Amino acid sequence: MRLHKKICKRLILLFMTFWLSGCAPFTENKLIEEISPVTFLSISKGDKGKLTVSTIMPPLSKEKKFVMSQEVSLLKEGVQKYNLNFYQEMKSGQMRMLVISDELGRDGIMSIINVLLTDPDISPRIYLVIVKGNFDEYLESQLDKDENFDYSFYRMLKHYEEKNQGELTVVNLHEFKNLLYTPYSDPFLPVFKLEEDGVNYEGTALFKDDKLVETISSLDDRIFQLINNDHYLVVLPIQKFEIVLGHVRSKVIVDIDSSYSTMTYTVNIDTRIEEYRGEKQLFDPKQLENMKKDIETHLEKQTHELVKKMQELKVDPLQLGIQTKRPFSKPMEEKKWIEMFEKMDIKIKYNINIDPLTDANSKRQNL
Amino acid sequence: MGTYQLFKKNETYNGLYAMLLVNRLQMLYFFLIMPNILIHPYMIWVLIAVGILSQLNLFLLSKWLLTRLSSNGYNGFVQMFGKKLVRFLSFIGLFFILLKLSVITLGFSQIVQTFMLPATDTNFLVFFILLFCFYVAGKGVEHTIRFVLISFFCTFSMITFFVFFFFPPIAQLSDLYPLIPMEWKVENWKAFFLILSSYSGPEFLVFLGPWLKTNNKTFRYLCYGNALTVVEYVFLFIASLFFFGSNYLSKTQYPIINMSRYFQNPVFERIDMILLSFELFNLVFAVSLFLLLFYGASKIAFGKMSKPTSGKGLLSNVFLIFIGMVLMNELFWKSEEKQTFLLNLQIIAGSISYFLVPLVIVLVMKKEGVKKHAST
Repeated sequence: MRLHKKICKRLILLFMTFWLSGCAPFTENKLIEEISPVTFLSISKGDKGKLTVSTIMPPLSKEKKFVMSQEVSLLKEGVQKYNLNFYQEMKSGQMRMLVISDELGRDGIMSIINVLLTDPDISPRIYLVIVKGNFDEYLESQLDKDENFDYSFYRMLKHYEEKNQGELTVVNLHEFKNLLYTPYSDPFLPVFKLEEDGVNYEGTALFKDDKLVETISSLDDRIFQLINNDHYLVVLPIQKFEIVLGHVRSKVIVDIDSSYSTMTYTVNIDTRIEEYRGEKQLFDPKQLENMKKDIETHLEKQTHELVKKMQELKVDPLQLGIQTKRPFSKPMEEKKWIEMFEKMDIKIKYNINIDPLTDANSKRQNL
Repeated sequence: MGTYQLFKKNETYNGLYAMLLVNRLQMLYFFLIMPNILIHPYMIWVLIAVGILSQLNLFLLSKWLLTRLSSNGYNGFVQMFGKKLVRFLSFIGLFFILLKLSVITLGFSQIVQTFMLPATDTNFLVFFILLFCFYVAGKGVEHTIRFVLISFFCTFSMITFFVFFFFPPIAQLSDLYPLIPMEWKVENWKAFFLILSSYSGPEFLVFLGPWLKTNNKTFRYLCYGNALTVVEYVFLFIASLFFFGSNYLSKTQYPIINMSRYFQNPVFERIDMILLSFELFNLVFAVSLFLLLFYGASKIAFGKMSKPTSGKGLLSNVFLIFIGMVLMNELFWKSEEKQTFLLNLQIIAGSISYFLVPLVIVLVMKKEGVKKHAST
């Protein structure tokens, strides 16, 4: 009797291991030699409303890589076309980036975002990037020089995402989706420009709903990083005063009056001077104070222009609308907020705290 | 296979087990979809309020558990209700158990299909889950109750991962506004009953009286279990509000699992798969317990109490349940609209059973004049 029981148990165990190990006819075949887990997809506008989907194949095995590009009307149709064209099956589980051309961005990318959200294989952490220029051609030209171009590009994005390193905007799918679908906010994405020497970060693309409407760059983008995205910048060069501020940390306090007609946007900054090539004697407290005032007014003016631009475009990437939410009252409708936002008088105020130059101080004064 | 003694009673379990039983039976399937139906931040208060209501229910339950009758099991019930009524009630109970079993198993296997094995038919998954459960249930009630410990440690630890969502930049206090309801819609009632139904489960402890060591601390332990559930529910709900924002919550079908997909780890990429696999322990525990209850109830309902329990009997019961589940899967679960019907049915059935079972028992106890047995 006992023997019988033992055999029975073992058979059950064997049966289970067999089925659960995936050697079953009804699961997907994911043998590593037979699949190509692509790391990125680049999507751009094709002819007549079609999409051009391209990627580097094969992503894993040590074969000669090539750029595969398909013109399709549906995104997932591209996956199917790849499978019909290449001996390995394409899988999207390792996807890390989605590169979208800026023309496509201007038309709206809602449908693409929805495709990514529905597929449980695609991580909500994939990076979304807008690219200006022909990415396919660029890939072709890069393959000879740098085979692992896609990987290094991904590492770069990952580096700046972690712990908010400042410098550049990095947005993943989840963040984009949240900004897109929640009221009082509009999404934004990083923009890279393709040039002969490589992929250069240009700035931040502002979206109205799912459509790209404006790209902000240089000082505007720096300010955007400072007041919204990272609240930190490694360097902030201000050419006008021939000065470079380093390790800039900011704290933003937004105050909105009860009638929602004026908003005071206060930015408190802690920083230190990293470089100065101007004429002023910054070791003198008075002159330093003057310098501070100058920088403050300059940044205030710039930020005001930036916010003005956002108001004109009716986009709210700073999520200012959230400030109107109160714990004990009904949130206002998004339409109403946008109308208000357009007319709102937004006052910008900067308070800069610059560490005095201690080390060099005595030397210069003696001169 | 020898004569099984599925319902034999060698040892009794102390308050800690009672606490874990309450907690794990309340955290079955609904918590995975709950934020999707609750949506509004002010539902936090409803969660807490119903939690307190559930505390009252547990108070009634502990009154019953403290009587001598409860530790007599079947004979105790017969003494209270009479033989015929017990048979009738257990016949009705069969449907409640079958419904609950089906909803949690089918729901879970659908989640597994969506996130882990998209090419597999859910009927196969149901088959494997029941196979596991048959094995556990075949060990008898004692071992199944003991299994709650494993199930608790496997599933509770995964909740702690969600602390990650309570820190900025994901957490923004404004996601929790408005804190009080400005209007009360019809859907909110559904959410209310869902909460009530999610807290159900401990009413099955009524039948586990013989295996629980009861004393004057029992109520306290039951309360701890319930309080832990309230904390877990509120915690997960707030985390999902932070993560998705109130507006997006209604659009995501399985919010908790989608949240776990956002975790990152340099070694494992699909943490959701690991969490789901661990969640399976809880499911197997609950389903095996319900299988045993189903088997017991069917024996009572068909007047087979005098016959000894056997592995074959259990197997045939499991087989019946499997067929029932496959039918439900094909007829209801696979199409989204009919699935909501089944879900709503379970929501109502769960609420009713949790509300009525302890109440009725205590009322009958009062009427019959059953006294507490001397507390040990």
